[in-house]
Amino acid sequence: MSAKNQPDNGPVLREHVYDGIQEYDQKLPNWWLFTWYITIVWFVIAWVAYYQLGRGDSDVETIQKAIAAVEEHRNKELAALDDDKLWAMSLDPKVVDAGKATYSTTCVACHAPDLSAHLAGAKLPGLPLNDTEWKHGASPTQILKIVRKGAPDLTKGMPPWEPQLGIQRVVEVTAFLLSHHKKGEAFTLAADSPLKAAP
Amino acid sequence: MTSAPAAKTVITFDDRTVRRFMLASILWGAVGMLAGVFIALQLNFHELNLASWLSFGRLRPLHTNAVIFAFVGNMMFAGVYYSAQRLCKARMASDFLSNVHFWGWQLIIVAAAVTLPLGLTRGQEYAELIWPINVAVALIWGVFAVNFFWTLAKRNEPSLYVALWFYIATIITVAMLYIVNHLSIPTSWTHSYTLFAGVQNALVQWWYGHNAVAFFLTTPILGIMYYFLPKAVERPVYSYRLSIVHFWSLVFIYIWAGPHHLLNTALPKWLQMLGMFFSLMLWAPSWGGMLNGLLTLRGAWDKLRTDPVVKFYIAAVTFYGMSTFEGPLLSIRAVNALSHYSDWTIGHVHAGALGWNGLMAAGLFYWLTPKLYGSRLHSVAWANFHFWIATIGILIYVASMWVSGIMQGLMLNATNAQGTALVYPNFIETLISIRAMMGFRIIGGTLYLAGFLLMALNLWMTMRKGKPVEESREVAVIDRGAKDTMGMRETFLNDPVAYMFAGLFLVLAWLFLPPGADIAALLCAGFFSVIAVKKFREGHGRWSGWYDSLLNNWLPFTVLTFVAVALGGLIQIIPTVTVNRAKNVEDRIQQVYTPLELAGRDLYVSEGCYNCHSQMIRTMLPDVLRYGDYSRLGESIYDHPFQWGSKRTGPDLARLGGKYPHSWHYDHMMEPRSTSVGSNMPSYPHLFTDKFDQKSLLRKIAVMTRLGVPYPAMTADEIKMQALEQAVKIAEELKAQGKVAAPDTQIVALIAYLQKLGKFDTPEVERKLTPHGVPFPLQPALPDSHRKTVSQNP
Repeated sequence: MSAKNQPDNGPVLREHVYDGIQEYDQKLPNWWLFTWYITIVWFVIAWVAYYQLGRGDSDVETIQKAIAAVEEHRNKELAALDDDKLWAMSLDPKVVDAGKATYSTTCVACHAPDLSAHLAGAKLPGLPLNDTEWKHGASPTQILKIVRKGAPDLTKGMPPWEPQLGIQRVVEVTAFLLSHHKKGEAFTLAADSPLKAAP
Repeated sequence: MTSAPAAKTVITFDDRTVRRFMLASILWGAVGMLAGVFIALQLNFHELNLASWLSFGRLRPLHTNAVIFAFVGNMMFAGVYYSAQRLCKARMASDFLSNVHFWGWQLIIVAAAVTLPLGLTRGQEYAELIWPINVAVALIWGVFAVNFFWTLAKRNEPSLYVALWFYIATIITVAMLYIVNHLSIPTSWTHSYTLFAGVQNALVQWWYGHNAVAFFLTTPILGIMYYFLPKAVERPVYSYRLSIVHFWSLVFIYIWAGPHHLLNTALPKWLQMLGMFFSLMLWAPSWGGMLNGLLTLRGAWDKLRTDPVVKFYIAAVTFYGMSTFEGPLLSIRAVNALSHYSDWTIGHVHAGALGWNGLMAAGLFYWLTPKLYGSRLHSVAWANFHFWIATIGILIYVASMWVSGIMQGLMLNATNAQGTALVYPNFIETLISIRAMMGFRIIGGTLYLAGFLLMALNLWMTMRKGKPVEESREVAVIDRGAKDTMGMRETFLNDPVAYMFAGLFLVLAWLFLPPGADIAALLCAGFFSVIAVKKFREGHGRWSGWYDSLLNNWLPFTVLTFVAVALGGLIQIIPTVTVNRAKNVEDRIQQVYTPLELAGRDLYVSEGCYNCHSQMIRTMLPDVLRYGDYSRLGESIYDHPFQWGSKRTGPDLARLGGKYPHSWHYDHMMEPRSTSVGSNMPSYPHLFTDKFDQKSLLRKIAVMTRLGVPYPAMTADEIKMQALEQAVKIAEELKAQGKVAAPDTQIVALIAYLQKLGKFDTPEVERKLTPHGVPFPLQPALPDSHRKTVSQNP
């Protein structure tokens, strides 16, 4: 910027007066100009590097990789699980307590704190989990599958919980449920069980 | 008009209109803030959702509209009418238009206050008012524009002062934004569907929404600052040069920044990039305004101690600086991943609204009232007390929202060390953790409102001591040839404008050309900038001489301002509207709503669910774990209006469909706490008794079809039958789950809609994004189409 007509000892006061208001013609503050230049230069660099030259992953690649990592972790955990291991977990107080903690925030609204699906005499939307009648199967892996993926027809039953809770919590909740049951106890399938129709 | 050089004339300013607008602003300001305190209470005490018309979803738009358009709107008009007359040395051109403007605007406000609680809404934030009111707003704004520009044309002061530049930018830009974003097709006198849908609607809405902040809440208030602050401190403005640079850069850059409201969403990447980086480049131009305000006080800092008006102005400008620093920060994609949908944004806008707008208004009113009523301020002590409780109120409000937003954002985004599971899977757990902060917000807001009411009392006492006065002044009538002589050739064909356009053209070539050519264009742009700077240094005198003469010409100035504000929107919106259409969608395309689902969706919009629930799962792992697969661009392509939302007081609903049984929704709408312990959502008992609107479905579907939604041809009876068949089916399914609902009730339609959310088809034919056979400039090509950013199915 030129400093024409500018005396050394002060800023130029412009002559024109607008309804009593006058204006100095100060130079632009350097620190202000430089912050601006930096933001402009950053725009150019970022646009060229991340966008035009494609350095780094795109948003879609990033999220796909993260999802793939979650799935890989889950598959590894699942591969290590079977009925016996889940029964064993149901006897481990640490796992059961962790499952109870999740149950008491996530599941009680439909299945009640005592697993009866009844609260103060009223029936809640969920099925009782403390009796021996099961709709989707009584084996630990069958129970785990329902907690993970929800009912086969979601509009009529349980929502899937694995995405939100993660595989570890889902396993813990299953262990907590199993702690109310005994390995090898007799059970019946509910009248409307989808498993009954299967040959 | 005479041509004698020293002819004098006596003019009387129209100060009655100023007084009226000021009183209206105080009244509506109190109403708007009271509504704000009430809805803040509702968030902590859900029982205060006393009736359907007093529920949060309907009152929150009332609060925002009242504060923006009624409080700040009337304050802006008071400031503009007072200062423009004095800066033009002319009375407002037409008393009739001033009257129409005032009463028309108040009628619009009353109409808004009636329709919004009734659930009549367009479903877009700050653009909720129904279409007949939109038409009225556009017309009354036109009246304001004619009155203002006519006054400019009749002015007795050749040169336009910087305050007038900002008023000009405000008037033309608000008109442009308002009209484009409100384009819709009516289905009845009280309902319409937006012209744009999905991603296009989102882009246009936030082009509007962000620039409502820029051109309704910022530029007019900057204009007011440039007139009233030097008046109050009796010092010259700090820098004319800074005024020029920050005005033009502010109005040009602001327009591009809208997409920062849509970061990490399904919005195309190039728009997200532009939104973020233009927001960062906006920081310095915004601070130019703050510096010019603060540094004008140099040599008069002692006034800050004694004069309450100066206190209010300086605090306001400081809050402006703080908000405009925070804004770019929140626009950084990584920061936004945390802050978006959270209370941090709420704190940010209130730092602006309460701090910048509210304190400027207070300073303005304390200064104006004694002048307009020929008296002295009733109590300086009260004004000082107002200043302190207002400032403390804002600080409590903003600080609690920072803590709340950052805490909830961190909790919602927290994953375990391996990144395989959420740490806080239960949404309500995060809501409960911010309850105390939401409580502090109520305290801060109440303090601020108390200060505002004290001001109203103080000003009323001041008015009672005096009488309304009209200021008269003798002014010199200027020669016809002393102003408004510049033609279009001189406006556009001169060095400053020509260099700007050439540079801009090269920058656009850099942004839009395919790989290879883009970098070449960038190099050209860099080379060209060096030449331009050299030319500027050589021809500095000519360049500033041209600008000084431009200031003597209101129409060329207005035309150039319009070009500056129109460009950013054109460059972002036109390619999006031509390319991002249903026929070009590559991976997923939304399923069309059945008549019943459409009726349910209109209820969702009408109840204002979007005020607390988003329908947009971002490309972030925590979002995906919590709500499901990230949302694709095509999944809302038929949504008129889009409902992506901007705040998650409750969880995202983009993939709610089929997640819960009907009975869950039934219970949840009747009493949210029965299914979600600790929820602060209102209950909606009226949905269980009121009938959904069957009659209007025919017209609604006809309008949807006109808008390009592929509905099959259906007669009125077919539509009705289809709606009822689906309703009966849902009612039966509910009955099987032990819930009773009549098939024609609103709850059934709403459940139908909620169960449809997230349902999509995958197009069988592989589509090409752009048609072939047309050369580049004619063929619409987005920067994204050359690059690996298009979202695709794996």
